[in-house]
Amino acid sequence: MFDSHPYDGQVTGDKGINAKNIARIEAACAGKTSIKFVSMGDTQRWYDETEEFVKALNKRNDIDFVIHDGDFTDFGATEEFMWMRDIMNGLNVPYVGLLGNHDCLANGEDIFRTIFGPENFSFKAGNVNFICLNTNALEFDYSRPVPDFEFIQNEIDKQQPEQNKTVVAMHARPYSEQFDNNVARVFQNIIKGFPDLQFCINGHDHHLQANDLFNDGIMYYGSASIDEKSYLVYTITPDNQYTYEVVYF
Amino acid sequence: MKLFTFKTKITLLAVFVFLVNNTTVHAQKVVKDTVLIITDSIKPNGEKNYRAGWGILIPEYAKLQYAGSMGFLSLGGGWDYGKRKQWETDLFMGFLPHYSTSKNKITFTLKQNYIPWKLDVGSKFMIEPLTTGLYLNTIWGRDFWVKELEKYPNSYYAFSSKIRINVFVGQRITYKFNEDREIFKSATFFYEVSTNDLYLLSAVNNSYLKPKDYLVLSLGLKVQMF
Repeated sequence: MFDSHPYDGQVTGDKGINAKNIARIEAACAGKTSIKFVSMGDTQRWYDETEEFVKALNKRNDIDFVIHDGDFTDFGATEEFMWMRDIMNGLNVPYVGLLGNHDCLANGEDIFRTIFGPENFSFKAGNVNFICLNTNALEFDYSRPVPDFEFIQNEIDKQQPEQNKTVVAMHARPYSEQFDNNVARVFQNIIKGFPDLQFCINGHDHHLQANDLFNDGIMYYGSASIDEKSYLVYTITPDNQYTYEVVYF
Repeated sequence: MKLFTFKTKITLLAVFVFLVNNTTVHAQKVVKDTVLIITDSIKPNGEKNYRAGWGILIPEYAKLQYAGSMGFLSLGGGWDYGKRKQWETDLFMGFLPHYSTSKNKITFTLKQNYIPWKLDVGSKFMIEPLTTGLYLNTIWGRDFWVKELEKYPNSYYAFSSKIRINVFVGQRITYKFNEDREIFKSATFFYEVSTNDLYLLSAVNNSYLKPKDYLVLSLGLKVQMF
Protein backbone atom coordinates (compact mmCIF):
# COMPACT_ATOMS: atom_id res chain seq x y z
CA MET A 1 0.00 0.00 0.00
CA PHE A 2 2.47 2.67 1.16
CA ASP A 3 5.08 1.62 -1.37
CA SER A 4 8.38 3.51 -1.14
CA HIS A 5 9.67 2.41 -4.53
CA PRO A 6 9.37 -0.63 -6.84
CA TYR A 7 13.03 -1.32 -6.00
CA ASP A 8 12.82 -0.43 -2.30
CA GLY A 9 13.80 -3.90 -1.10
CA GLN A 10 11.20 -3.71 1.66
CA VAL A 11 10.53 -7.41 2.15
CA THR A 12 7.60 -8.35 4.36
CA GLY A 13 6.38 -11.85 5.17
CA ASP A 14 8.20 -15.11 4.69
CA LYS A 15 12.00 -15.04 4.33
CA GLY A 16 14.76 -17.64 4.05
CA ILE A 17 12.42 -20.02 2.23
CA ASN A 18 15.01 -22.36 0.71
CA ALA A 19 16.61 -23.19 4.06
CA LYS A 20 13.22 -23.83 5.71
CA ASN A 21 11.98 -25.98 2.85
CA ILE A 22 15.27 -27.88 2.56
CA ALA A 23 14.83 -28.91 6.19
CA ARG A 24 11.34 -30.19 5.31
CA ILE A 25 12.58 -32.03 2.18
CA GLU A 26 15.53 -33.63 3.96
CA ALA A 27 13.34 -34.77 6.86
CA ALA A 28 10.57 -36.14 4.63
CA CYS A 29 12.93 -37.92 2.21
CA ALA A 30 15.40 -39.31 4.76
CA GLY A 31 16.18 -42.95 4.03
CA LYS A 32 14.26 -42.97 0.74
CA THR A 33 15.83 -44.47 -2.36
CA SER A 34 12.99 -43.49 -4.66
CA ILE A 35 12.46 -39.74 -5.22
CA LYS A 36 9.77 -38.00 -7.25
CA PHE A 37 10.15 -34.28 -7.82
CA VAL A 38 8.84 -31.55 -10.08
CA SER A 39 10.77 -28.96 -12.05
CA MET A 40 9.06 -25.80 -13.32
CA GLY A 41 9.92 -22.14 -13.57
CA ASP A 42 10.00 -18.86 -15.50
CA THR A 43 6.83 -17.73 -13.77
CA GLN A 44 7.58 -14.04 -14.36
CA ARG A 45 4.33 -12.01 -14.56
CA TRP A 46 2.23 -15.16 -15.20
CA TYR A 47 0.49 -15.00 -11.84
CA ASP A 48 -2.73 -16.74 -12.88
CA GLU A 49 -0.86 -19.58 -14.57
CA THR A 50 1.41 -20.07 -11.56
CA GLU A 51 -1.63 -20.18 -9.31
CA GLU A 52 -3.17 -22.81 -11.61
CA PHE A 53 0.03 -24.83 -11.36
CA VAL A 54 -0.11 -24.71 -7.57
CA LYS A 55 -3.74 -25.85 -7.58
CA ALA A 56 -2.96 -28.65 -10.05
CA LEU A 57 0.00 -29.88 -8.05
CA ASN A 58 -1.89 -29.76 -4.76
CA LYS A 59 -4.30 -32.35 -6.20
CA ARG A 60 -1.44 -34.87 -6.35
CA ASN A 61 0.04 -36.63 -3.38
CA ASP A 62 2.93 -38.46 -5.02
CA ILE A 63 5.41 -35.54 -5.30
CA ASP A 64 8.22 -35.09 -2.78
CA PHE A 65 9.13 -31.50 -3.64
CA VAL A 66 9.26 -28.83 -6.36
CA ILE A 67 12.24 -27.00 -7.86
CA HIS A 68 11.47 -23.55 -9.29
CA ASP A 69 14.09 -23.13 -12.01
CA GLY A 70 14.36 -19.35 -11.59
CA ASP A 71 12.94 -16.13 -13.02
CA PHE A 72 10.35 -15.58 -10.35
CA THR A 73 10.16 -11.97 -11.57
CA ASP A 74 10.23 -10.04 -14.81
CA PHE A 75 11.70 -6.71 -13.61
CA GLY A 76 13.45 -7.75 -10.40
CA ALA A 77 11.01 -5.54 -8.46
CA THR A 78 10.59 -6.25 -4.76
CA GLU A 79 6.82 -6.70 -4.95
CA GLU A 80 7.13 -9.20 -7.81
CA PHE A 81 9.22 -11.50 -5.62
CA MET A 82 6.65 -11.33 -2.84
CA TRP A 83 3.67 -11.87 -5.16
CA MET A 84 5.29 -14.97 -6.64
CA ARG A 85 6.49 -16.21 -3.26
CA ASP A 86 2.98 -15.98 -1.87
CA ILE A 87 1.60 -18.04 -4.76
CA MET A 88 4.34 -20.68 -4.51
CA ASN A 89 3.88 -20.83 -0.72
CA GLY A 90 0.45 -22.24 -1.47
CA LEU A 91 2.07 -25.54 -2.47
CA ASN A 92 1.42 -28.43 -0.11
CA VAL A 93 4.88 -29.84 -0.80
CA PRO A 94 8.09 -27.92 -0.07
CA TYR A 95 9.81 -26.06 -2.90
CA VAL A 96 13.19 -24.44 -3.47
CA GLY A 97 13.92 -21.54 -5.83
CA LEU A 98 16.88 -20.96 -8.15
CA LEU A 99 18.15 -17.51 -9.10
CA GLY A 100 17.08 -16.52 -12.62
CA ASN A 101 18.64 -13.76 -14.71
CA HIS A 102 15.53 -11.57 -14.41
CA ASP A 103 15.76 -11.99 -10.65
CA CYS A 104 19.17 -10.28 -10.79
CA LEU A 105 17.80 -7.06 -12.36
CA ALA A 106 18.34 -3.84 -10.42
CA ASN A 107 18.80 -5.00 -6.80
CA GLY A 108 16.70 -8.14 -7.32
CA GLU A 109 19.56 -10.36 -6.30
CA ASP A 110 19.51 -8.86 -2.77
CA ILE A 111 15.78 -9.53 -2.59
CA PHE A 112 16.26 -13.09 -3.83
CA ARG A 113 18.84 -13.69 -1.11
CA THR A 114 16.53 -12.29 1.54
CA ILE A 115 13.44 -14.22 0.49
CA PHE A 116 15.01 -17.47 -0.75
CA GLY A 117 18.65 -17.57 0.34
CA PRO A 118 22.11 -17.97 -1.20
CA GLU A 119 22.19 -18.39 -4.99
CA ASN A 120 24.35 -21.54 -4.77
CA PHE A 121 23.03 -24.22 -2.46
CA SER A 122 22.59 -27.95 -2.15
CA PHE A 123 20.30 -30.36 -0.37
CA LYS A 124 19.80 -34.07 0.10
CA ALA A 125 16.64 -35.89 -0.83
CA GLY A 126 17.03 -39.51 0.25
CA ASN A 127 20.07 -40.88 -1.53
CA VAL A 128 20.16 -38.08 -4.11
CA ASN A 129 22.18 -34.90 -3.81
CA PHE A 130 20.72 -31.81 -5.45
CA ILE A 131 23.25 -29.16 -6.45
CA CYS A 132 21.57 -25.83 -7.28
CA LEU A 133 23.72 -23.27 -9.06
CA ASN A 134 23.68 -19.67 -10.21
CA THR A 135 24.68 -19.80 -13.89
CA ASN A 136 23.61 -16.28 -14.92
CA ALA A 137 27.13 -15.16 -15.78
CA LEU A 138 25.99 -12.31 -18.05
CA GLU A 139 24.46 -10.56 -15.03
CA PHE A 140 27.63 -10.51 -12.96
CA ASP A 141 30.40 -9.05 -15.16
CA TYR A 142 33.15 -11.22 -13.66
CA SER A 143 32.56 -9.48 -10.32
CA ARG A 144 31.74 -12.88 -8.92
CA PRO A 145 32.57 -16.34 -10.22
CA VAL A 146 29.55 -17.68 -12.14
CA PRO A 147 29.36 -20.65 -12.10
CA ASP A 148 31.20 -20.78 -8.80
CA PHE A 149 33.72 -23.64 -9.23
CA GLU A 150 34.94 -23.18 -5.67
CA PHE A 151 31.43 -23.91 -4.41
CA ILE A 152 31.05 -26.86 -6.79
CA GLN A 153 34.40 -28.39 -5.78
CA ASN A 154 33.58 -27.98 -2.08
CA GLU A 155 30.31 -29.79 -2.68
CA ILE A 156 32.12 -32.63 -4.48
CA ASP A 157 34.62 -32.88 -1.63
CA LYS A 158 31.98 -33.12 1.10
CA GLN A 159 29.89 -35.83 -0.54
CA GLN A 160 28.60 -38.47 1.87
CA PRO A 161 28.46 -42.16 0.88
CA GLU A 162 24.71 -42.25 1.65
CA GLN A 163 24.05 -39.90 -1.26
CA ASN A 164 25.26 -41.93 -4.20
CA LYS A 165 23.37 -40.01 -6.90
CA THR A 166 23.42 -36.39 -8.01
CA VAL A 167 21.16 -33.99 -9.91
CA VAL A 168 22.48 -30.56 -10.93
CA ALA A 169 19.91 -27.73 -11.27
CA MET A 170 20.50 -24.30 -12.83
CA HIS A 171 18.54 -21.51 -14.45
CA ALA A 172 20.52 -21.03 -17.68
CA ARG A 173 22.12 -24.11 -19.25
CA PRO A 174 25.54 -24.18 -20.93
CA TYR A 175 25.58 -22.48 -24.36
CA SER A 176 22.68 -20.20 -23.52
CA GLU A 177 23.61 -16.51 -23.82
CA GLN A 178 23.60 -16.19 -20.01
CA PHE A 179 26.14 -18.96 -19.41
CA ASP A 180 29.88 -18.26 -19.32
CA ASN A 181 30.43 -20.40 -22.41
CA ASN A 182 34.18 -20.13 -22.28
CA VAL A 183 33.96 -22.61 -19.40
CA ALA A 184 31.00 -24.69 -20.61
CA ARG A 185 33.13 -27.81 -21.07
CA VAL A 186 35.12 -27.15 -17.91
CA PHE A 187 31.81 -26.91 -16.05
CA GLN A 188 30.63 -30.17 -17.54
CA ASN A 189 33.87 -31.97 -16.66
CA ILE A 190 33.75 -30.72 -13.08
CA ILE A 191 30.10 -31.59 -12.38
CA LYS A 192 30.80 -35.09 -13.69
CA GLY A 193 32.95 -35.42 -10.56
CA PHE A 194 29.75 -35.74 -8.48
CA PRO A 195 28.72 -39.27 -7.57
CA ASP A 196 26.63 -40.82 -10.35
CA LEU A 197 25.41 -37.62 -12.01
CA GLN A 198 21.91 -38.50 -13.25
CA PHE A 199 21.03 -35.46 -15.35
CA CYS A 200 20.86 -31.67 -15.25
CA ILE A 201 17.74 -29.50 -15.17
CA ASN A 202 17.33 -25.90 -16.26
CA GLY A 203 14.78 -23.19 -17.06
CA HIS A 204 15.37 -19.95 -18.92
CA ASP A 205 14.62 -20.89 -22.55
CA HIS A 206 10.82 -20.92 -22.05
CA HIS A 207 10.26 -24.18 -23.92
CA LEU A 208 10.68 -27.87 -23.16
CA GLN A 209 14.15 -29.21 -23.83
CA ALA A 210 15.87 -32.60 -23.70
CA ASN A 211 19.43 -32.53 -25.02
CA ASP A 212 22.67 -34.40 -24.60
CA LEU A 213 24.53 -31.08 -24.78
CA PHE A 214 28.07 -32.46 -24.64
CA ASN A 215 27.46 -35.86 -26.27
CA ASP A 216 28.60 -37.55 -23.09
CA GLY A 217 25.34 -39.14 -22.00
CA ILE A 218 24.47 -36.41 -19.46
CA MET A 219 21.06 -35.08 -20.40
CA TYR A 220 19.92 -31.48 -19.86
CA TYR A 221 16.15 -31.12 -19.41
CA GLY A 222 14.60 -27.69 -19.68
CA SER A 223 11.21 -26.76 -18.22
CA ALA A 224 8.90 -24.49 -20.24
CA SER A 225 7.79 -21.12 -18.92
CA ILE A 226 4.67 -21.49 -16.81
CA ASP A 227 2.39 -19.86 -19.44
CA GLU A 228 2.84 -23.07 -21.47
CA LYS A 229 1.02 -24.74 -18.56
CA SER A 230 3.34 -27.67 -18.15
CA TYR A 231 5.72 -29.03 -15.59
CA LEU A 232 8.21 -31.89 -15.55
CA VAL A 233 8.08 -34.82 -13.12
CA TYR A 234 11.24 -36.83 -12.50
CA THR A 235 11.31 -40.16 -10.76
CA ILE A 236 14.65 -41.51 -9.59
CA THR A 237 14.36 -45.17 -8.64
CA PRO A 238 16.75 -47.59 -6.87
CA ASP A 239 17.23 -49.71 -10.01
CA ASN A 240 19.66 -47.07 -11.20
CA GLN A 241 17.21 -45.60 -13.64
CA TYR A 242 15.19 -42.47 -13.83
CA THR A 243 12.10 -41.50 -15.79
CA TYR A 244 10.63 -38.11 -16.59
CA GLU A 245 7.28 -37.01 -17.90
CA VAL A 246 5.75 -33.78 -19.09
CA VAL A 247 2.47 -32.95 -17.36
CA TYR A 248 0.08 -30.36 -18.77
CA PHE A 249 -2.41 -28.68 -16.48
CA MET B 1 63.05 57.50 -13.59
CA LYS B 2 59.58 58.12 -12.32
CA LEU B 3 56.98 55.80 -13.77
CA PHE B 4 54.38 58.51 -14.32
CA THR B 5 54.76 62.28 -14.63
CA PHE B 6 52.37 64.52 -12.69
CA LYS B 7 50.47 65.29 -15.90
CA THR B 8 50.00 61.61 -16.69
CA LYS B 9 48.73 61.01 -13.14
CA ILE B 10 46.11 63.70 -13.54
CA THR B 11 45.00 62.21 -16.85
CA LEU B 12 44.74 58.71 -15.37
CA LEU B 13 42.73 60.07 -12.45
CA ALA B 14 40.38 61.82 -14.86
CA VAL B 15 39.91 58.64 -16.89
CA PHE B 16 39.28 56.71 -13.67
CA VAL B 17 36.71 59.22 -12.43
CA PHE B 18 35.05 59.13 -15.85
CA LEU B 19 34.91 55.34 -15.79
CA VAL B 20 33.55 55.24 -12.28
CA ASN B 21 30.96 57.86 -13.16
CA ASN B 22 29.97 55.94 -16.24
CA THR B 23 29.63 52.76 -14.23
CA THR B 24 27.50 54.57 -11.71
CA VAL B 25 25.32 55.92 -14.48
CA HIS B 26 25.00 52.40 -15.83
CA ALA B 27 24.17 51.03 -12.44
CA GLN B 28 21.50 53.67 -11.96
CA LYS B 29 19.91 52.50 -15.19
CA VAL B 30 19.75 48.98 -13.84
CA VAL B 31 18.24 50.17 -10.61
CA LYS B 32 15.73 52.22 -12.56
CA ASP B 33 14.75 49.15 -14.60
CA THR B 34 14.34 47.09 -11.47
CA VAL B 35 12.19 49.78 -9.92
CA LEU B 36 10.01 49.66 -13.01
CA ILE B 37 9.57 45.88 -12.73
CA ILE B 38 8.64 46.20 -9.08
CA THR B 39 6.17 48.97 -9.92
CA ASP B 40 4.60 46.69 -12.50
CA SER B 41 4.16 43.82 -10.13
CA ILE B 42 2.37 45.55 -7.29
CA LYS B 43 -0.60 43.34 -6.61
CA PRO B 44 -4.13 44.79 -6.38
CA ASN B 45 -3.92 44.71 -2.59
CA GLY B 46 -0.83 46.87 -2.72
CA GLU B 47 1.57 44.09 -1.69
CA LYS B 48 4.84 44.14 -3.55
CA ASN B 49 5.83 40.97 -5.38
CA TYR B 50 9.41 40.34 -4.36
CA ARG B 51 9.57 37.32 -6.62
CA ALA B 52 10.07 39.48 -9.70
CA GLY B 53 12.90 38.83 -12.14
CA TRP B 54 15.16 35.96 -11.14
CA GLY B 55 13.13 35.61 -7.98
CA ILE B 56 10.58 33.71 -10.02
CA LEU B 57 12.86 30.70 -9.63
CA ILE B 58 12.24 30.61 -5.89
CA PRO B 59 9.71 27.83 -5.23
CA GLU B 60 6.32 29.09 -4.16
CA TYR B 61 5.65 26.16 -1.88
CA ALA B 62 7.38 23.24 -0.24
CA LYS B 63 6.05 19.68 -0.23
CA LEU B 64 6.77 16.65 1.89
CA GLN B 65 5.52 13.32 0.61
CA TYR B 66 5.50 9.94 2.29
CA ALA B 67 5.67 6.80 0.06
CA GLY B 68 4.19 6.99 -3.45
CA SER B 69 6.98 4.95 -5.14
CA MET B 70 9.30 7.97 -5.06
CA GLY B 71 11.13 7.30 -1.81
CA PHE B 72 10.27 6.56 1.79
CA LEU B 73 10.14 10.32 2.33
CA SER B 74 10.50 12.99 -0.37
CA LEU B 75 11.11 16.68 0.12
CA GLY B 76 10.58 19.17 -2.65
CA GLY B 77 9.26 22.45 -3.86
CA GLY B 78 7.46 23.80 -6.85
CA TRP B 79 5.55 26.44 -8.68
CA ASP B 80 1.85 27.00 -9.32
CA TYR B 81 0.57 28.76 -12.38
CA GLY B 82 -2.42 29.15 -14.66
CA LYS B 83 -5.46 31.43 -14.33
CA ARG B 84 -6.80 29.55 -11.33
CA LYS B 85 -3.41 28.19 -10.26
CA GLN B 86 -4.67 24.87 -11.57
CA TRP B 87 -1.17 23.70 -12.52
CA GLU B 88 1.63 22.79 -10.17
CA THR B 89 5.09 21.54 -11.12
CA ASP B 90 7.18 19.96 -8.36
CA LEU B 91 10.74 18.76 -7.97
CA PHE B 92 11.48 16.25 -5.21
CA MET B 93 14.44 14.50 -3.72
CA GLY B 94 13.51 11.24 -2.10
CA PHE B 95 15.30 9.17 0.52
CA LEU B 96 15.07 5.39 0.36
CA PRO B 97 16.51 3.35 3.25
CA HIS B 98 18.35 0.21 2.13
CA TYR B 99 15.92 -2.28 3.73
CA SER B 100 16.99 -5.73 2.42
CA THR B 101 19.41 -4.29 -0.14
CA SER B 102 23.00 -3.23 0.42
CA LYS B 103 22.71 0.55 0.04
CA ASN B 104 20.56 3.54 0.96
CA LYS B 105 19.30 5.23 -2.18
CA ILE B 106 18.38 8.71 -3.39
CA THR B 107 15.66 9.35 -5.95
CA PHE B 108 14.61 12.43 -7.92
CA THR B 109 11.10 13.19 -9.07
CA LEU B 110 9.62 15.64 -11.55
CA LYS B 111 5.90 15.88 -10.91
CA GLN B 112 3.15 17.61 -12.85
CA ASN B 113 -0.15 18.22 -11.02
CA TYR B 114 -3.50 19.32 -12.40
CA ILE B 115 -6.02 20.63 -9.88
CA PRO B 116 -9.21 21.54 -11.74
CA TRP B 117 -11.43 22.68 -8.84
CA LYS B 118 -10.98 24.66 -5.64
CA LEU B 119 -13.93 24.84 -3.25
CA ASP B 120 -13.86 27.28 -0.33
CA VAL B 121 -15.31 25.91 2.88
CA GLY B 122 -15.79 28.90 5.15
CA SER B 123 -13.05 31.52 5.14
CA LYS B 124 -10.29 29.29 6.50
CA PHE B 125 -10.59 26.03 4.58
CA MET B 126 -10.45 25.02 0.95
CA ILE B 127 -11.04 21.60 -0.56
CA GLU B 128 -9.61 20.39 -3.84
CA PRO B 129 -11.75 17.35 -4.69
CA LEU B 130 -9.43 16.12 -7.45
CA THR B 131 -5.74 16.31 -8.05
CA THR B 132 -4.26 14.29 -10.86
CA GLY B 133 -1.10 14.11 -12.91
CA LEU B 134 2.00 12.14 -13.53
CA TYR B 135 5.55 11.99 -12.26
CA LEU B 136 8.84 10.74 -13.51
CA ASN B 137 11.11 9.20 -10.93
CA THR B 138 14.77 8.32 -11.28
CA ILE B 139 16.74 6.28 -8.78
CA TRP B 140 20.47 6.62 -8.24
CA GLY B 141 22.83 3.68 -8.10
CA ARG B 142 24.96 1.42 -10.27
CA ASP B 143 22.31 -1.30 -10.21
CA PHE B 144 19.96 0.82 -12.32
CA TRP B 145 20.18 1.72 -15.98
CA VAL B 146 18.21 3.92 -18.34
CA LYS B 147 19.09 1.92 -21.41
CA GLU B 148 20.07 -1.71 -21.08
CA LEU B 149 23.81 -2.27 -21.09
CA GLU B 150 25.69 -3.12 -24.25
CA LYS B 151 26.58 -6.59 -22.96
CA TYR B 152 22.99 -7.69 -23.57
CA PRO B 153 21.68 -8.88 -26.94
CA ASN B 154 19.26 -6.39 -28.55
CA SER B 155 16.05 -5.73 -26.60
CA TYR B 156 16.99 -8.39 -24.07
CA TYR B 157 15.07 -6.81 -21.21
CA ALA B 158 13.48 -3.90 -23.08
CA PHE B 159 12.76 -1.63 -20.12
CA SER B 160 14.59 0.87 -17.94
CA SER B 161 15.21 -0.05 -14.32
CA LYS B 162 16.17 3.55 -13.51
CA ILE B 163 13.22 5.61 -14.73
CA ARG B 164 9.64 5.06 -13.66
CA ILE B 165 6.51 6.78 -14.93
CA ASN B 166 3.80 7.14 -12.30
CA VAL B 167 0.22 8.35 -12.63
CA PHE B 168 -1.91 9.47 -9.69
CA VAL B 169 -5.24 10.82 -8.49
CA GLY B 170 -5.78 12.40 -5.10
CA GLN B 171 -7.55 14.96 -2.94
CA ARG B 172 -6.44 17.88 -0.80
CA ILE B 173 -7.63 20.04 2.05
CA THR B 174 -6.06 23.44 2.76
CA TYR B 175 -6.03 25.61 5.88
CA LYS B 176 -5.35 29.31 5.22
CA PHE B 177 -3.25 31.12 7.81
CA ASN B 178 -3.68 34.74 8.75
CA GLU B 179 -1.32 36.25 6.17
CA ASP B 180 -0.36 39.24 8.33
CA ARG B 181 0.99 37.14 11.14
CA GLU B 182 2.30 33.91 9.67
CA ILE B 183 5.25 33.29 7.38
CA PHE B 184 3.27 30.62 5.55
CA LYS B 185 0.13 31.47 3.65
CA SER B 186 -1.46 28.09 3.93
CA ALA B 187 -0.91 24.43 4.76
CA THR B 188 -2.36 21.60 2.70
CA PHE B 189 -2.76 17.94 3.52
CA PHE B 190 -3.13 15.56 0.61
CA TYR B 191 -3.30 11.89 -0.22
CA GLU B 192 -2.76 10.19 -3.54
CA VAL B 193 -3.34 6.83 -5.15
CA SER B 194 -0.79 6.04 -7.82
CA THR B 195 0.67 3.29 -9.92
CA ASN B 196 3.69 3.00 -12.18
CA ASP B 197 4.58 1.39 -15.50
CA LEU B 198 6.00 -1.80 -13.92
CA TYR B 199 2.98 -2.38 -11.69
CA LEU B 200 0.57 -1.68 -14.55
CA LEU B 201 2.37 -4.14 -16.82
CA SER B 202 2.21 -6.68 -14.00
CA ALA B 203 -1.50 -6.04 -13.40
CA VAL B 204 -2.75 -6.49 -16.95
CA ASN B 205 -3.65 -9.95 -18.27
CA ASN B 206 -4.11 -11.60 -14.92
CA SER B 207 -6.74 -11.67 -12.24
CA TYR B 208 -4.47 -12.68 -9.38
CA LEU B 209 -3.15 -9.18 -8.73
CA LYS B 210 -5.74 -6.97 -7.08
CA PRO B 211 -5.84 -3.16 -6.81
CA LYS B 212 -4.27 -3.41 -3.34
CA ASP B 213 -1.25 -5.02 -5.04
CA TYR B 214 -0.65 -2.57 -7.89
CA LEU B 215 -2.04 0.66 -6.43
CA VAL B 216 0.15 2.72 -4.14
CA LEU B 217 -1.00 5.06 -1.41
CA SER B 218 0.88 8.16 -0.33
CA LEU B 219 0.38 11.07 2.07
CA GLY B 220 1.72 14.59 1.81
CA LEU B 221 1.94 18.06 3.22
CA LYS B 222 2.29 21.31 1.28
CA VAL B 223 3.08 24.72 2.74
CA GLN B 224 2.55 27.77 0.57
CA MET B 225 5.18 30.47 1.05
CA PHE B 226 4.44 32.94 -1.78
